[in-house]
Amino acid sequence: MVDVGILLQILFWGVYAGCIYILLATGLNLIFGVMKIVNFAHGEFLMLGAYITATVFFMTGVNPYAIIIISMLVLIGIGAVVERLCFRPILGTSKLNEIFLSLGLIYIFQNSAAMIWGDQWQSIRSPYQGITVSLGPLSVPVDYLIIMAVTSAILCALYFFLRKTETGRQMRATSQNRKGAMLVGINVERMDIMSFSIGCALAAAAGTLWVVSGQVFNPYMGSIPAVKAFAIIILGGLGSIPGAIAGGLLYGIAENGAAYFLGGVWKDAISFIILIIVLVVKPTGLFGESGE
Amino acid sequence: MNRMDLNRGMITRYGIPLVILIAVGLPLVSADLYILNLLVLMLIFIIFAEAWNLLAYSGQGSLGHAAFFGIGAYASTLIATESGITPYITIFVGGAVAALIGVLIGLTCVRLREWFLAMVTFGFAIIVQTLTVSVLAPVTGGWDGIASPRLISAGIPGYQLIQYYSILLITIGCILLIHLIMKSRLGLAFSAIRENEVEARATGVDPVRVRLIAFAISAYIAGIAGALEIHYIGYLTPEIYGVDISFWPIIYVIFGGLGTLAGPVIGTVILMSVWEGLRQAGLTFGRYVIVGVMLILVIIALPKGLVSLPGELRERWMAWKEKRAVRADSADIIPDKES
Repeated sequence: MVDVGILLQILFWGVYAGCIYILLATGLNLIFGVMKIVNFAHGEFLMLGAYITATVFFMTGVNPYAIIIISMLVLIGIGAVVERLCFRPILGTSKLNEIFLSLGLIYIFQNSAAMIWGDQWQSIRSPYQGITVSLGPLSVPVDYLIIMAVTSAILCALYFFLRKTETGRQMRATSQNRKGAMLVGINVERMDIMSFSIGCALAAAAGTLWVVSGQVFNPYMGSIPAVKAFAIIILGGLGSIPGAIAGGLLYGIAENGAAYFLGGVWKDAISFIILIIVLVVKPTGLFGESGE
Repeated sequence: MNRMDLNRGMITRYGIPLVILIAVGLPLVSADLYILNLLVLMLIFIIFAEAWNLLAYSGQGSLGHAAFFGIGAYASTLIATESGITPYITIFVGGAVAALIGVLIGLTCVRLREWFLAMVTFGFAIIVQTLTVSVLAPVTGGWDGIASPRLISAGIPGYQLIQYYSILLITIGCILLIHLIMKSRLGLAFSAIRENEVEARATGVDPVRVRLIAFAISAYIAGIAGALEIHYIGYLTPEIYGVDISFWPIIYVIFGGLGTLAGPVIGTVILMSVWEGLRQAGLTFGRYVIVGVMLILVIIALPKGLVSLPGELRERWMAWKEKRAVRADSADIIPDKES
């Protein structure tokens, strides 16, 4: 019999794993909303964020949580370049083209990283490693609590940016109706590049959090989380940020549950089984209104 | 226009026999085993790329074709090992098993488009790999893999050449089959649902049925390719379901020319040669970067792939010549206009 403590533990682990997925999926969703493209290479930005964090940490030794700002800033720049050079030229062409282009980007980023940093698994030690807090029946590593707090803070900041600032409003307008936005004088190409950069920055934040929690990383770590993040936004509905958050939590919990009850090999497969079941039942996703 | 048609006729009339002549003659001229091995792998991936291309021709882009490649390989290996039948027969049975599963996965995919389909097929490859190493491990050997019977026993003199020519024959057969499908009513239905599903439906094409057929044929041919590769190599592990194996046919096809018969052949031959060249040059990771850059350049600058390069160049040349003629004309009338 499974006792409540273990279930709670799985739940907690799931929420923690969900944080990474939420950041990735929110970024993807933001980009999808504005540009109507899907970047399968999004996980490579997670990987870059992870390596930047580790590199800065090894060089300076500062608190790795502070490096989140550096990795986000660097990825804003990289995101802008990728958008300008790769995605803008193919905007409006066949939808399959973005998928193929992403494949090229995956190869470029993964193997450039392997050339720079080597392709072996690495990890760093968080300054708070080993410190735990007891919450009822759970003993919780402090790192996980910080990660959840940081994720919430980033999401709140994003919410305020999208709701309260002029640029954020323009971005939402572009995502609702691109032509309409153009007509009222919004520079939609600027919105494209900004949303892509912000999406990359969110992925970078996820990368930093991945590393500081002590998880191992290598140049190929990004692909599977990115594909799962994409599965999450399909589940949650394309373009819906609350859907991305709900889907991210669901995936984190389902995966950890599957790993516990069915064995570790099922961790990746279970997320796709969920996806396929949902799509068979409802081809537009859980919260999606239309397939397009 | 006229000249272009003529040119295209010439390419098919002389190009295809020339390619076949090279494919037949090369091993006779140089009996180098390294080159022979490379040629065999090229042929196998040409079949695989053509299979992926056929599915894309019906408007469905799969990101998990390694699943069918691997299922064909496992099915053929297990049947050949258990029954002792020659792999030359079991590869087609393996393909049929892959086609059967292709129909099953197609059933979940027929209502999905683009990214949704890409996701489901990608996930499907991962699910199949997980099943192979967990539930099916007693049969498949799990992560350790299993030995696969060779196409021909190494005892027969000149077995490498026999092997090569038999694979060449199967490759030509597969390409011919795909050519006939593309030219048939079915092929027309494929491109009809790709271009405009509503209109296709209006002309009496059943999109669900056509998509399923496309899935089945593509999975069948991909399964044959996978079985061939594994019987050729002689050993089979679950890595055959890897993301890399799913991505290569896509890259070859995009590079050569999506939706054309020659594209996958050209893409596979050029990219595999480049790949081998870069490997010889010692670029372990750099070759991926180079191939990635090449792929992106082709997508942006030459969206129809390398096969469209001659036509594209001719068009540019014509446009340039015309512009020059116009400029020369206007220069006669108004001497100092146009920069």
